[in-house]
Amino acid sequence: MSDEPAAAADGETGSSFADTVGIWMPRGDELRVMTATAVVLAVFPFVFSRMPVVSDLLQGYQSLATLILIWGIFALGFDLLLGYTGLLSFGHAAFWGGAAYAAGVFSQHVSGSPILMVLAGTVFAVLLAWFLGFLSLRRGGIYFAILTLAFAQMMFYMSSSPLAFITGGENGFTGVETAELFGLFPLESELPLVLETLLGTWLYAFVAVIALLCVALGYRILHSPYGMVFRAIRENEQRAEFVGLNVWRYRLMSFIISGFFAGVAGSLFVIHGTYVPLSSLYWTTSGEVVIMTVLGGTGSLFGPVVGAGVYLYVENIVSGGHPFEFVAPFWHLILGLVFVVTIWVFPRGIWGFFRDVRDYVTGGED
Amino acid sequence: MALLETENLVKEFGGLVATDEVNLSVEEGERVSIIGPNGAGKSTLVNLITRRLDPTSGDIRFKGESIVGHDPHEVVQMGVSKSFQTASIFSDLTVRENAEIAALASEHGSFGFKLLEHRDSLTGVHQVARDTLDAVGLLDQADRQASELPYGDKRRLEIGIALAAEPDLLLMDEPTAGMSPEETEATVDLVEEVKRELGLTFVLIEHDMEIVFRISDRIVVLNRGQVIAEGTPDEIKGDAAVQEAYLGGVEL
Amino acid sequence: MSFHIEAITVLLNGLQQGAIYILLAVGLSIILGTLKFVNFAHGALYLIGTYAGLLIALEVNLTSGQLQAWGFGQLGLGLGYIPALLIVPFVVFVVGLAMERWVVEPFKNRPDTDQILVTFGLAIIVQELFRAFFGSSSLPFSQPSWAQGPPQVPFLAAIPISSWRYYVIGITAVLVLIVYLLVEFTDFGLVVRAGTRDPEMVELLGIRLSRPYIVVFGIGAALAGVAGVVGGPLNPVNPTIGNEILVPAFLTVVIGGVGSIAGAVLGGVLFGVTQAVLVATYSAWAQVGLYAIAAIVLLVRPQGLLGEAEVAP
Repeated sequence: MSDEPAAAADGETGSSFADTVGIWMPRGDELRVMTATAVVLAVFPFVFSRMPVVSDLLQGYQSLATLILIWGIFALGFDLLLGYTGLLSFGHAAFWGGAAYAAGVFSQHVSGSPILMVLAGTVFAVLLAWFLGFLSLRRGGIYFAILTLAFAQMMFYMSSSPLAFITGGENGFTGVETAELFGLFPLESELPLVLETLLGTWLYAFVAVIALLCVALGYRILHSPYGMVFRAIRENEQRAEFVGLNVWRYRLMSFIISGFFAGVAGSLFVIHGTYVPLSSLYWTTSGEVVIMTVLGGTGSLFGPVVGAGVYLYVENIVSGGHPFEFVAPFWHLILGLVFVVTIWVFPRGIWGFFRDVRDYVTGGED
Repeated sequence: MALLETENLVKEFGGLVATDEVNLSVEEGERVSIIGPNGAGKSTLVNLITRRLDPTSGDIRFKGESIVGHDPHEVVQMGVSKSFQTASIFSDLTVRENAEIAALASEHGSFGFKLLEHRDSLTGVHQVARDTLDAVGLLDQADRQASELPYGDKRRLEIGIALAAEPDLLLMDEPTAGMSPEETEATVDLVEEVKRELGLTFVLIEHDMEIVFRISDRIVVLNRGQVIAEGTPDEIKGDAAVQEAYLGGVEL
Repeated sequence: MSFHIEAITVLLNGLQQGAIYILLAVGLSIILGTLKFVNFAHGALYLIGTYAGLLIALEVNLTSGQLQAWGFGQLGLGLGYIPALLIVPFVVFVVGLAMERWVVEPFKNRPDTDQILVTFGLAIIVQELFRAFFGSSSLPFSQPSWAQGPPQVPFLAAIPISSWRYYVIGITAVLVLIVYLLVEFTDFGLVVRAGTRDPEMVELLGIRLSRPYIVVFGIGAALAGVAGVVGGPLNPVNPTIGNEILVPAFLTVVIGGVGSIAGAVLGGVLFGVTQAVLVATYSAWAQVGLYAIAAIVLLVRPQGLLGEAEVAP
């Protein structure tokens, strides 16, 4: 990425200081989207796990609310690749699980600061995404899914035996030592005052702030030239090449960006669970994020997050029995069926479906 | 110095020779048409120049520099733009975005520009996109999704995308294929206008002889991969070899 | 055990494992080559083959799953292995035809990613159906009594490898040879080969590809079914076996070169033998070794060992 000043400079006045600040200032819709996201994040755990009547109906609980956000970040980043650039990776478990291991090992040997853990895990995931993306993008189209799948499986087997002395092999990594946030607040402790009712724990607050930042980042990327280039590549790879875009490098960039989000999420996953199961690297984990993203709706920022919520809800609540005794043993089968129906009939997922309904009701333009 | 030159350009597919020692030279500001019967090697030649195909032997130079060994997107960066035979556009993007993509790509190099920059701040790109859409007469439809356009407009957009890259040389692969007579007329006017206003150099691959004779400064006739004649429209009309090999009994 | 006996044992084990990969990879490869369709449900076809084989060959006592809960815990025809080997390919062939007709066809004109996604979803459904009905716990699928222990012929009797593994290698060799002859020397094969190279041209020549396509898919499926029957008695049988075999099968295809039967065979042998050698020597690296080979081959020859470089249109 070069730092040459964008052509924005011409015609626009303003010092370089104003330019620098300007980039970070929210613009128009961005502020609205961020505010709405913040509000939803702030009331979600309350509604889901503590609000009278509603939470009883939903059977939600605090820890699941946190987990939904974490997978939501993962799915959001995954959609930048699948929904916008049009590349289907079956290897994102490598970045999610890789970051989880990296953050876990980091906490054991270097520092248990949650912020530093997230940094460590994310850096690892980004570097890995760079490397695996470089290898997997050598062959285009349908090979990409197979190659990402293969290289991620290699990571799984690496950590299952040759690296077992670090990763704990089949038993997973158990040596996570998370410290207090800012050295002050244990993540599992309750927040003060009204925040406790709304958000619950420090852990949730920490994850929610990062989720908000991720949404902002995702929004920014989609509304930067990159977002448009990604869509152009998805739409017509050949034409993109023939307007002078280096398609290969943009694809790699998109892959790395989604690896970044997977890394953030994977690091949070280990902080949340204080444990890394070996299965976090298995290819079915990649499959899970694929399902969440498609279910929720590719090509939208929030669809995949909704998808993550639905998936985890079914996996953790519906599968648990009451009040879903009848379908509980079939939860995975049901998800599979819904997934296939979604691809078949509503390729734009839950989010797209509701958008269509809204457009239909309001009679048009969004 | 010629803007574009090919030197003894050969492309073989298996045993088939698609272009055979083609020496082509296009001067700056010139409009050159390449004609020839089906299978004469026209499309191969274009694909070689745009680097979609590797030549078997020979060289291609643009502005004096060899482009063999460059990737297609690099050739576009150097100033060679191509409009496709079919409406090769970005269907799910708006008309405006279609033009912006091309303007962005040429203005900001093949890779780069800031990840976190908002698109609205790229005023230069917006201006180029706007001017281009105005030039091809699609400005009033800028906010429509490209897939919604009628076919003729899609083809105009296709040409617009090629123009928005602000090329020095525009390769047009049968720009009027599949168009109605009115659309064809409008497209020819468009080419004339672009030529007048932007002073672009064109290389045109075309079947429609009427168009070729109307807008070319020079015509190159290919047959079986070889250049069999070259000259002004009048010279070509009178050329016996061309009559024989290509035009056959067609009344001109 | 002397070194050379051990070496031969490892080699034969490798060939046998490779044979399973080959059966799957040949099917995947001709499907990918002709239909340009990535079938993530190929492992599910293997799964169906294994369960069908088990239920035809033996009598089974389920210990979990809905069938057991509903009182149908005792299943299976108990016909023996030969009938299973004869019936299963047809069953899975028909499943393959159905898949081609109702899943592949409708997705012909959808993006590649949708094709992959729908077969991936289908694989989940199949796996979960088996889990729901037959339970998650592993079922015993023993090797037939007549194929246990080394074959009683000179020399081979000294090698501690069950006859069943020789049968696996033999059956694979015969089937792959048949498919190879079919593709190389029949009109059907001509259309398939031409379709691999240039589907548009074949259509232009007025040959309808849909019928050969559906047969290609059926044959690929049947091979996966055979792999399930012959591979079943070598490992515990549970609903995830399809998932586990899919990735090495894909790699075999990519390493060998898409659309190339010889490539699939070469890739399968390479994988099987490497795996067996590593298991016998540095067992911790056995799986990683496979992927490392794959990575190296792809870096050096992106089109696969026997694949043709892609030709720009």
